[in-house]
Amino acid sequence: MFDLISFIILVGLGYFIGTQIEKKHYASLKRREALYLQLPAVTAKNMLEERPIEKASLISGSAAISTDYFKTLLSGLRNFLGGEISAHETILDRARREAIVRLKEKAADADIILNLRIETSTVSLMGGAEVLAYGTAIYYKK
Amino acid sequence: MKFTPKTIEENVNVSPTSPVKDFFELILKILGIFLALYILLGFAVDYIAPRISEKTEAQFGALFNSIYEEQKLPDSEKTVQSIVDKLLSHNPSLPRFTYQTHLIESKKINAQAFPGGHIIIYTGLLKEMRSENELAMVIAHELGHFAHRDHLRGLGRGLVFLVFSTFLSGADSSVSRFIANSMTNAEMRFSQTQESAADSFALELLNKTYSHAAGATDFFEKMSLKYPAPRFFYIFATHPYPQRRIEALKNTIKEKHYLIKEKIPLSLPHQDVH
Repeated sequence: MFDLISFIILVGLGYFIGTQIEKKHYASLKRREALYLQLPAVTAKNMLEERPIEKASLISGSAAISTDYFKTLLSGLRNFLGGEISAHETILDRARREAIVRLKEKAADADIILNLRIETSTVSLMGGAEVLAYGTAIYYKK
Repeated sequence: MKFTPKTIEENVNVSPTSPVKDFFELILKILGIFLALYILLGFAVDYIAPRISEKTEAQFGALFNSIYEEQKLPDSEKTVQSIVDKLLSHNPSLPRFTYQTHLIESKKINAQAFPGGHIIIYTGLLKEMRSENELAMVIAHELGHFAHRDHLRGLGRGLVFLVFSTFLSGADSSVSRFIANSMTNAEMRFSQTQESAADSFALELLNKTYSHAAGATDFFEKMSLKYPAPRFFYIFATHPYPQRRIEALKNTIKEKHYLIKEKIPLSLPHQDVH
C-alpha cells in the first residue's frame, strides 16, 4: 500500500512539476531563439561571402535534459505495445534547441555559423537526452 | 544569396498528443490485455484439469510437501488413515494415488485435498468429531474432490503455469517449486456446485462403506449451530449454506432408502485431539 501511494505521488509530482518546467523551458527557448534569429546557423560547408575573414573558430553547445517520473512511466508503458514514444519527443526537442541556442550564445558576435552538426547520446538509463551541437563560427573583417 | 531570418511557429518534432490521454490509453490497453489473458487462463484451467495424468498430479503433490511433511501426531494419523483406507476399499473408481492423511495442528475446522492424494485434516476439525462415521463423511467429501478433480481446479490459474513449467523443466525444478509455493498462499476455493457434488459422492461412499448413512449430516449440523450464518460464512465462505447441504443430504438418504444405524465411536490416541 505504501509503495502504491509513493508511486502515485512520484507520478503526480513528475507530471505537474515536469509540465511546469517544460513550459518554462519552452518559453525561454522561444525568447532566446528570437534573440539570435539574425545569426544564421547552416549545415552547408561553404557559404562564405567574398570578404576577408578575421576569425574562424570551432564552437559547441550541449544540453542534457532529464525526463521526469511520469514520462519514464509513460515510455515504459509504451515499451509494452510499441509505437511512438511521444512523451520523449519533447525531451529531445528541448535538448536539441537548447544546444543550438547555447552554441549561438557562445558566438553571439559571429556573422555566420557554418557546418552545423547535431549529435545525440543517452545520458542515463532513465531516459534523459544529451544533445551536442557544434559548428564553425565565421567572423568577417569589419 | 540573401539570408532572411524566419521563426518557425509549427514544431513537427513534437507530436500534438496529450501525454495524460496517452497515459490512460496505454494503461487501459495493457489492462485489457491482462484481463483477456486472465479470462483465457480461467478457461484453460477447466480444460487442463481433467486432462492431467495421475502421474503428473502425483508429481505436483510432492511440490506441496512443505505444508504437510511434519508428522507431529503419528498415532492419530494412523487411526485416521485406517478410516481413509476403509473408504478407499469401497471405491475402486477413484484416481489411483497412494492416499495419505496428514494431520496439522491448527484451530481451523477444515480439511483440504491436495494434488496427488494428500488429505490434510486440521486438528480443529478432529476435535469436533464424535464418531467415526462423522469423520468418514468429511474424508469422503475430500475424496469426492479428488474424484471430480476439483482440487486441481481449486489451484486456480496457477495450475496452467504449473503444467507448463512441469513440461518445460520438470516437476522438481525450482520454477515448479516456486509456482507451487506461491499457489499455496491462496486458499483453495471450490464452487458451490463442486461442494454439492462432493457431498453426494461422500454420502454414497459412506453408505457403501458402513452399509448405512448415519453421521452424514452430523458435522454440518454442528457447524450451523456453532457458527450461525455470518461467522460460519467467514470460515466456509465458498461452501453452500449448511442448512441447504443438510437438507440435500437428508433428501438423498430418504430417496435412496439408506439405513441409519448405530454410529461407531471415535477414539483417537492423541490427547491433544480430544
